[in-house]
Amino acid sequence: MAGRWQWFHRLGSPKWFYEKTTRWLPWLIGVMALLLAVGIVWALLFLPPDYQQGHTSRILVVHVAVAGASLSFFPLMAVAGTVTLVWRIKLADMVAKNAAPLGAWFTFLTLATGSIWGSVSWGTWWEWTDSRLVSMLFQFFLLLGVISLRTAIESAETAARACALLSIVGCINVVIIKYSVAWWNTLHQPPSPISMEVGSPNGPEFWVATAIMIVGVYLFLAVSLILATRNEILERENKAQWVRELALRSR
Amino acid sequence: MIRASVGAAFRATLKRDLLISVKRRNDILNPFMFFIIVVTLFPIGISPESAMLRQLAAGVVWISVLLASMLAMDSLYRSDYEDGSLEQLLLSSQPLYLLVFAKNIAHWLVSGLPVILVSPLLAYMLSLPADGYLTLVASLLLGTPVVGMLGSIAVALTVGLGSRGLILAVITVPMSVPVLIFGTLAVQNSLAGGSPLGYLALLGAMLAAAVSLAPVATAAALRITLN
Amino acid sequence: MTENSQHSRPLLQVRALTCEREERLLFRDLDFSLDAGQVLQVKGGNGSGKTTLLRIICGLNDGYQGELYWQGNALTEHWDDFHAGLLYIGHRVAVNHVLTPLENLRWSCRLHDPAADDDICGALAEMGLAGYEDSPCYSLSAGQQQRVSLARLLLSSARLWILDEPFTTLDIDGVALLEHLVARRAQDGGAVLITTHHKLDLPRLRTLTLGVAQ
Repeated sequence: MAGRWQWFHRLGSPKWFYEKTTRWLPWLIGVMALLLAVGIVWALLFLPPDYQQGHTSRILVVHVAVAGASLSFFPLMAVAGTVTLVWRIKLADMVAKNAAPLGAWFTFLTLATGSIWGSVSWGTWWEWTDSRLVSMLFQFFLLLGVISLRTAIESAETAARACALLSIVGCINVVIIKYSVAWWNTLHQPPSPISMEVGSPNGPEFWVATAIMIVGVYLFLAVSLILATRNEILERENKAQWVRELALRSR
Repeated sequence: MIRASVGAAFRATLKRDLLISVKRRNDILNPFMFFIIVVTLFPIGISPESAMLRQLAAGVVWISVLLASMLAMDSLYRSDYEDGSLEQLLLSSQPLYLLVFAKNIAHWLVSGLPVILVSPLLAYMLSLPADGYLTLVASLLLGTPVVGMLGSIAVALTVGLGSRGLILAVITVPMSVPVLIFGTLAVQNSLAGGSPLGYLALLGAMLAAAVSLAPVATAAALRITLN
Repeated sequence: MTENSQHSRPLLQVRALTCEREERLLFRDLDFSLDAGQVLQVKGGNGSGKTTLLRIICGLNDGYQGELYWQGNALTEHWDDFHAGLLYIGHRVAVNHVLTPLENLRWSCRLHDPAADDDICGALAEMGLAGYEDSPCYSLSAGQQQRVSLARLLLSSARLWILDEPFTTLDIDGVALLEHLVARRAQDGGAVLITTHHKLDLPRLRTLTLGVAQ
């Protein structure tokens, strides 16, 4: 029993996290850079233009990857929030705190790439009948809500737990919003030719490029989150012995 | 030691909040008047044509109700936080979520119900066809408590903060979207000659979920923010 | 467990209580206990953590390390029992301005010990508020509102009172009255935890001064 919990609490130690990630980061960044480079070059240079959408289909490679990644933020924040509320592990909150703005940024990128693609494919920058973009917009609002709640509450401890609770409630809501918006759309008009499905006309080369890009973007997410969390650790633990030693060594 | 019973504490809290609202009057009047004023702006801003309004009526009423309940939320828990009654609520040996639920009910009776009662009149002014009234009122009766209870979580999270207007809106608007969707779909469906029961059942399911989960979340939020 | 161990155990026991707020240490390893019949006055300068200590004991603040026991049982496992035996009056007196004293007390009694209207009126009269039962509280002075809140002391059967600066707005008569109530509660087998800068004149008074050791 004690052994089982030991790793859990070690995992929650900011120092442990900092030291481990110092070792992992070069590898993560290397793999990420490789995958992103391959994915982008493939998408821009080697992917044959789509017979219907022409060159615009290339942005889908990025869009799909970013959209997939931005869907993972609320579950991530809800899990981190649960850990914060139940076990009071500070590290979980440091991750959650940085996940919210990052998630908002990813969601914004999803909306931006989606509407750039839409401006060519649908002839309009915004289309309410695409339920995925609409529910993304509401996810964006909710993330802004989490961020503004964090900045509004002065006490860091209270802010951490309030945001944790909001993330859990928000996570449930994002799911409900997603399904109800999808339903709303299918009822407002019959299934339209407008679809973001990376559909049949696309051959395996499109899928492979997208898959590489998805893994690359997830790694980018992980690296950004780890870097931000490391900064947060140094800031919050600036009185701890090991942080001072680190600062002395790096001087 | 004689303990106050759960039911008595629940009723006392409900009664107290209703009494405060009746004495303060603004709690009842503000959302009500706000609702009426917002609805009247739509025909002026969009079109006075009844053919056009007929199509928009359900959505206009629903959105105005949402805005009015957003306005009403501000008064929830505010004076209780300022005068320390909220601390007493937390220190009661009765389950906090039940007392919170009593406060939510009182708040809905005061700010939600009057708005719903006047909504058929405004729907008439927006030329909603006669088939839609019953569904509109039913959907509002089922939907507005959900919005109120979701709002209660957001208010509890921001209680004691100086400027929380925008935070409240950013949190509660996305959360209210599913309710808005099913509420307006129910009315539109009954106008198209279909049965709205499916959507009303969905709203009912949401209400059941909100009743069982939202007061617990609100209670947790209050314990966090009053820390 | 012998039969009289129930009685020999202190009503409230605090062990190794440490509280850090916003990276500032308020108090460390605080140990004290409160037996039935005792009054403990918590002293300390501004910002020494008096209110925080009281709020921690009440269960309003959980940002602490250490252990709390209520009649020998860990407090965190027995909140309901504890809250049933606790009466807390904080800085903010929990008196709604638009309600009358009677309406206010009706509600706060329902949360703890139900009281009949006659008893409430009697308590208000004893607090010197006879004739004000039905006036809205916004028409009362701060001291009178404090008295409305303190009337709960007369209506409560709670064994432990936790009072945070209850004397601030009271006049001389009010102070004497409250001191009398506190002494009587202690005599009746209750216990009182109180913060004040006021010099209390009570038998068996103990004091705890915060912000000295650090």
